[in-house]
Amino acid sequence: MKKTGTKAFSNLVSAIIFIILCAWAWIQTGNFQTVNDFYVQPSTFPRVMIIGLLFFSVVLLIQAIVQLSTMKEGDPAAEPAESINVFKDKGVQAALVVIVLCILFTALFKTLGYVICAAIICAIIMYMIGKRELKQMVLVSILVPLGMWLIFFKILTVNIPMGPLTFLRDLLNMI
Amino acid sequence: MDWGLLITSYLQVFANPQVLLMTLLGAAGGVLLGAIPGMTATMGVALLIPFSFGMDLIPSVGLLLGIYCGGMYGGSISAILIHAPGTPSAAATLIDGYPMCQKGQVGLALSVAMFSSFCGGVIGALIMTFLSPLIADMAMNFGPGEMFMLAVFGLSVIIAISGNSISKGLMTAFFGMLLCTVGLDPTNGVPRFISYTTTGLLDGIQFIPFLIGLFAVAEVIAGAERIIRGEESVQSTNEKIDRVLPDLGTIKKIFPNIITGAVLGTLIGAIPGAGGDIAVFVSYGANKSMSKHPELWGTGIPNGVASTESANNGCSGGAMIPLLSLGVPGDSVTAILLGAFIMKGITPGPMMYVSELPTVYRVFAALMLANLCMLIVGCCGVRIFTKIVSLEKKMLYPIILVISLLGAFSINKNVFDVGVCVVSGIMGWLMNKYEFPLSPILLALILGPMCEKNFVRFMNIHRGNVFEITQSPIAMVFLVVALLVIIYSVWNQSRINKRTAAAKAEK
Repeated sequence: MKKTGTKAFSNLVSAIIFIILCAWAWIQTGNFQTVNDFYVQPSTFPRVMIIGLLFFSVVLLIQAIVQLSTMKEGDPAAEPAESINVFKDKGVQAALVVIVLCILFTALFKTLGYVICAAIICAIIMYMIGKRELKQMVLVSILVPLGMWLIFFKILTVNIPMGPLTFLRDLLNMI
Repeated sequence: MDWGLLITSYLQVFANPQVLLMTLLGAAGGVLLGAIPGMTATMGVALLIPFSFGMDLIPSVGLLLGIYCGGMYGGSISAILIHAPGTPSAAATLIDGYPMCQKGQVGLALSVAMFSSFCGGVIGALIMTFLSPLIADMAMNFGPGEMFMLAVFGLSVIIAISGNSISKGLMTAFFGMLLCTVGLDPTNGVPRFISYTTTGLLDGIQFIPFLIGLFAVAEVIAGAERIIRGEESVQSTNEKIDRVLPDLGTIKKIFPNIITGAVLGTLIGAIPGAGGDIAVFVSYGANKSMSKHPELWGTGIPNGVASTESANNGCSGGAMIPLLSLGVPGDSVTAILLGAFIMKGITPGPMMYVSELPTVYRVFAALMLANLCMLIVGCCGVRIFTKIVSLEKKMLYPIILVISLLGAFSINKNVFDVGVCVVSGIMGWLMNKYEFPLSPILLALILGPMCEKNFVRFMNIHRGNVFEITQSPIAMVFLVVALLVIIYSVWNQSRINKRTAAAKAEK
């Protein structure tokens, strides 16, 4: 029986990741400045949390090892875990595209402005997940970001970067 | 209590068209603002306070309380419909609200949220009317030690919201508490896990962008994945809404949860510094523990929605208690309300009950009216809000994403927060995939800073003697209750796991 794709195996990997995170965080706390005449140092609270996280990560690790060594067909732990294989799973590829688009949105938010960035990612995601009605796609991609900008700018007085469309703000102020 | 004056004050407020109009407008504005992820009731009150400058005290208080109560309910709308709590106080509503939406019970979820919010608000207002001096005295006995133990008590419900795996729930809780320590140390300003050049994180990880990412962005990523795999129907759900309020049978079922939630919400709201975000989780944990079928909690049941929504609206009454009785705001919204009172030449505090008793009673009445207006706005809105989920999923997901990212930006007008939102979205997506519960992180992020700040203060006041905490009866009560809750939750969870396993074996 192949054990690498099971829930127990995914728990084992998760526990190891958290243990590595704990080790890294503990090393970091060693670099925190100490403060004289304080009964609780800046590193105290994070260290207590790291110990807690480490303890339960080890519990999960032991549970996973026990489950893997005594695994039988039909066990809940033997059920297949969710995949994150980008090369084999089209769903994961789609999720990755959404993530990349979100990162691009963040990177270009100040330069291109909210409306342009939002319109682009809206249109790309709609197309990617199978929307093909061009009229609806264009309308949603343009009207939703524009409407949200109007609400935030005019009613909630939040100044949102507009990039090349900054003239819209001036135009609105003139009206 | 001067009953004659109380009744006259209620009549004066309820029969005043200007107060009615302002409170209704406030409630409508609050519901809409609360429903936008990233916009909180505090921001709504702060934004609209200039509109109240030219008004008399009671219409302006009506407007502000309308926004407050409306905002509390509004947060649940986006939590139920798009898995993105509009306000931190609605964070626990999505545990059962969103699964109800996925089961095609959007109308029921919204109506239960609205009805529970209304009942919670009314119970909170009644407790405020009759018990405010008493509760205010109790709330003022809260020092750092008591606040620390309150936070510990709040954290004790983590097991109840952890789902099937207690170890995974506690792991995510400790991870959330560790995330809280990123940034400058709250007591002495020492940078932790960052350098002084990482300006975006000096204030720590911002809660609301993190919350939006963890739930809304993660849901969009997972939604796109499901659609491509063909696991999710792309067709819209067209639920027919026959009634805007829950039927009698449902009300009967959820009423005990509403009462518990409202009382807990009012009591927690009355403690300065503790608000709806803590009360909802405590109420959820308490109601789940008392339930005959705890295994159903989290799968989309009206009781879960009722327990959280009654608690956050109960808080609105609770937070007014220390404001009026002692002049100490219970939360950020009442801090702004304090400013409004002072602007009108009234100083809240113990003397207000002597010199301004009619005003105090009118404020009680205005809070009651605000809850009524919230119910009216909610009733009118249920059908409209339900239309949101009738949008085709292929259009809905991109819309949720662009609104969420904008909501994350709008809190501090900082692009860094959008990045935080995206990173927490990726984290939420991965944690969901590998069955790590997300709610404990949320609770940890809310209570972590409160826990650390008060613990450090306590230790510095008592020169490092931690056992001094045993001198405080309130702190000891919280500690004992927290221990009992932990023991009971562990036992309860093992009972749930056994039942679930037996049900699976039967199948």
